[in-house]
Amino acid sequence: MNEERGKEELRRYEEINEKIRRGDAVVMTAEEFIEFVEQSGLEKAAKEVDVVTTGTFGAMCSSGAFLNFGHSEPPIKMVRCWLNDVPVYKGLAAVDAYLGATSMSETKPFEYGGGHVIEDLVSGKEVELRAESYGTDCYPRRSLETTIILDDLNQAYLYNPRNAYQRYNAATNTSDHILYTYMGTLLPRYGNVTFSGSGQLSPLYKDLNLETIGFGTRIFLGGGVGYVVGEGTQHKPQSGFATLAVKGDLRGMSAEYLKGAVFHNYGTTLYVGVGIPIPIINMRVAATAALKDEDIPVDILDYSVPSRDRPIIKKSNYAELKSGKVVIGDKEVPSSPLSSIKVARKIAETLKRWIEAGEFFIQRPIELLPNYREFKPLKIKKREVTVGDIMMPLKDLVLAKPEDDIKKVAKMIIEKNIDHVPIVSEEGVLIGIVTTWDLTRALAEDKKTLKEIMTRYVITAKESERVDDVAKRMAEHHISGLPVVDDVMRVKGLITSDDISRKLVGRRGI
Amino acid sequence: MKVKLRYSHEAASKPILAEIILKTGLLINIIEAKLTPKEGEMVIDIATQGQALKRALEYLRAAGLEVTELRSLVEVDRERCISCGACISPCPSRAIRFDESLDIEIDERRCIGCGICISACPRKAIQLI
Repeated sequence: MNEERGKEELRRYEEINEKIRRGDAVVMTAEEFIEFVEQSGLEKAAKEVDVVTTGTFGAMCSSGAFLNFGHSEPPIKMVRCWLNDVPVYKGLAAVDAYLGATSMSETKPFEYGGGHVIEDLVSGKEVELRAESYGTDCYPRRSLETTIILDDLNQAYLYNPRNAYQRYNAATNTSDHILYTYMGTLLPRYGNVTFSGSGQLSPLYKDLNLETIGFGTRIFLGGGVGYVVGEGTQHKPQSGFATLAVKGDLRGMSAEYLKGAVFHNYGTTLYVGVGIPIPIINMRVAATAALKDEDIPVDILDYSVPSRDRPIIKKSNYAELKSGKVVIGDKEVPSSPLSSIKVARKIAETLKRWIEAGEFFIQRPIELLPNYREFKPLKIKKREVTVGDIMMPLKDLVLAKPEDDIKKVAKMIIEKNIDHVPIVSEEGVLIGIVTTWDLTRALAEDKKTLKEIMTRYVITAKESERVDDVAKRMAEHHISGLPVVDDVMRVKGLITSDDISRKLVGRRGI
Repeated sequence: MKVKLRYSHEAASKPILAEIILKTGLLINIIEAKLTPKEGEMVIDIATQGQALKRALEYLRAAGLEVTELRSLVEVDRERCISCGACISPCPSRAIRFDESLDIEIDERRCIGCGICISACPRKAIQLI
């Protein structure tokens, strides 16, 4: 299909633009197009409709703006720079800077960040600029403080390395504590599901094979006009996770479609409004433009697993997610979006109006985006210290059986000078744990066997885990030792906070 | 009807809620409680209305509690809200939903004032009142 991709079989861009100029292009939003296809069939819809408009309005962390402040008198080579106390990247020329959406205010972190500065600038608000330098012969000034508004800047353009994910995984939480993530607040034990993306309005999903969206495509960006400047980072089109890099002049954009945001305990970001016109150039494009929410698969992932490979809890789709409840096992779980479907719809409608009014033309891409990209993980090449490296091995452990006499165990504890005794079955499978504190309590309450006092719900560790992760788990549960078990819960060793602090002093890499 | 009760030092040592439940047979749900032996605050939901509710409130006041009727616990700043929905599914009492035009709607009768929506809101558009 590679050679076929982008073929203008139904209509050419020139013809579409000519119709736009004349004011008789047929434009529909993606949702109107879906309805039209349902009523009249794909063939007829593809023949009649010139352009389908799309929209999405969601948190897009890989967003930011390149700014040029102009030169002060005397000039400065800004080395460190802040806008409303938000650090701005200064590894560029003297007064060029990049303001990233997730950069957080040094005075109000988790409250105000780069995304908010962009919103404020676009709203016309005054923003405090602070800069420092070491001073050079050509740029003698060493510091400055002033205020700026958007119109004071020479250039201010949004340049977002990754926007408008084709679709996105949904999130839930199987653990027993609340999680605060970039996917929002996730209640314990499958308490809720959150999802992102606009589904049947999603720009990149409506051109699933990337036949019309490519380098140079003119788009709706933040309420103004922008362009696709290439594939986005982590572009993975072969599995429906294509992304875009986009650029557009901040002047001409609107704060209605650029909103600073905060995800609790995660950080700041920017909600970006992106709308892309899809010219119906061939039947394949028509078919993907007509895809509905139920046709767009979404995996619900367990965000309580702190790994880049999170387990899939359920295979769902945008129709189920947008319905407000998802069935997981025998439980009906509330679901809600993080992207605004209302604003996404408004973007698709606005773009449609622009085209109908003859103000916005469709740009044939200069080059199509790749439709395959390997998605590589980051390898940690230095070996990290694992639980297996520092745990007390099985041969040094004191283990006990549930029916063992408390006195006998107490004696062993004293002889071996330990604090934790895992309780195991005949097969060595962990069934409980007893600590010196439990024994003290047994004495006070006159208990006889371990069975009566052991803790049955045991937090454990695996040999291959990083010590750092296990230390965090101990702190979270306020415990000082974890039995180390294999995949079938057989005890392999024990790791204590003592081991971690004693054996790792002076060592790095945890 | 949700009611906020403030316990003084004397009131905190008496089983006032237990008494009122036994006496009136009303169903009372404790939504939030911060009590120490000295004083405290509690939000309860009394499953009744009209005369019976009025009598229950009178009883609570007579027992020495400061009683505030809660009509609404949180409010949405429509200027800040972007109708994303991030507050909806985290709500443990399912008090939040989209209305027909996809704006956020909070059902005051269901809201328990827990405040999860406040931290869940990426726009900081929800406040306790």
